Amino acid sequence: MPEGRYKSRSLRRVYTKLPGSKVVVHYKKRKPSKAVCAQCGALLKGVPRERPYKMQNMAKTKKRPSRPYGGFLCSKCMRAKLKEKISKPGKNV
Amino acid sequence: MFKIGRLCLKIAGRDAGLKCLVVEVIDDNYVLIDGQTRRRKCNIKHLEPLDKVLKVKKGVSHSDVLKELRKEGVEVKEKIKRKKKAMPKIEEKPKAKETVKKQEIPKPKKQEKPELKKEIPAAKPKKADKKTKAKPKKTSAKKAEKKTVKKAKPVKAKKTVKKPKK
Repeated sequence: MPEGRYKSRSLRRVYTKLPGSKVVVHYKKRKPSKAVCAQCGALLKGVPRERPYKMQNMAKTKKRPSRPYGGFLCSKCMRAKLKEKISKPGKNV
Repeated sequence: MFKIGRLCLKIAGRDAGLKCLVVEVIDDNYVLIDGQTRRRKCNIKHLEPLDKVLKVKKGVSHSDVLKELRKEGVEVKEKIKRKKKAMPKIEEKPKAKETVKKQEIPKPKKQEKPELKKEIPAAKPKKADKKTKAKPKKTSAKKAEKKTVKKAKPVKAKKTVKKPKK
């Protein structure tokens, strides 16, 4: 029987074959879920899903698209937002 | 809609949110733009026209476009190419090494830790007083790298004391 702490579903089971041709269960942590647009909820592209220790070591340009609101809004919502800025009266673009 | 001289805002791409002028009309779908963005062709769908139309000739140069934009009040930053700076010549380090070597030879009498410190200042006045006077800070800085800063300070005091003796 596995230990109690391994029964949690926050760990995933990976069956690995050892060099001695014995199959064994390895427990691995799960990755976080995919990033989502803040307005419409669509899946964002260009944002990797990795555990914190990997995200910390990545360069900033690899974690988001290099355009305004990249990694926060999807491209559709970003375009709509820029158009809004123009049409708003009294505000200097 | 998109005539020559039309002020637009770029909606798509990594330069989205920047203002530009229509310089030339290439196609039904494509247009040459310049301004805060780089000079390149752009799809009409990626541009949002603003109210103003500036009086500009077809195929305007980049510098003229920037002038027109500055009149309207649009800030444009011009990129300056950086020139590689020549590496500064390091002449001090070999001199420090020379002083250390020469100092150790003349005075092996003192057998304490301050020996080295005392030897270094002692040898310096022999070489030339001008050098020590001219570059006291540099030598002390170098010594600080080799030894702690606190030790370097008393060394300076000892130097001054020894000079009148000799």
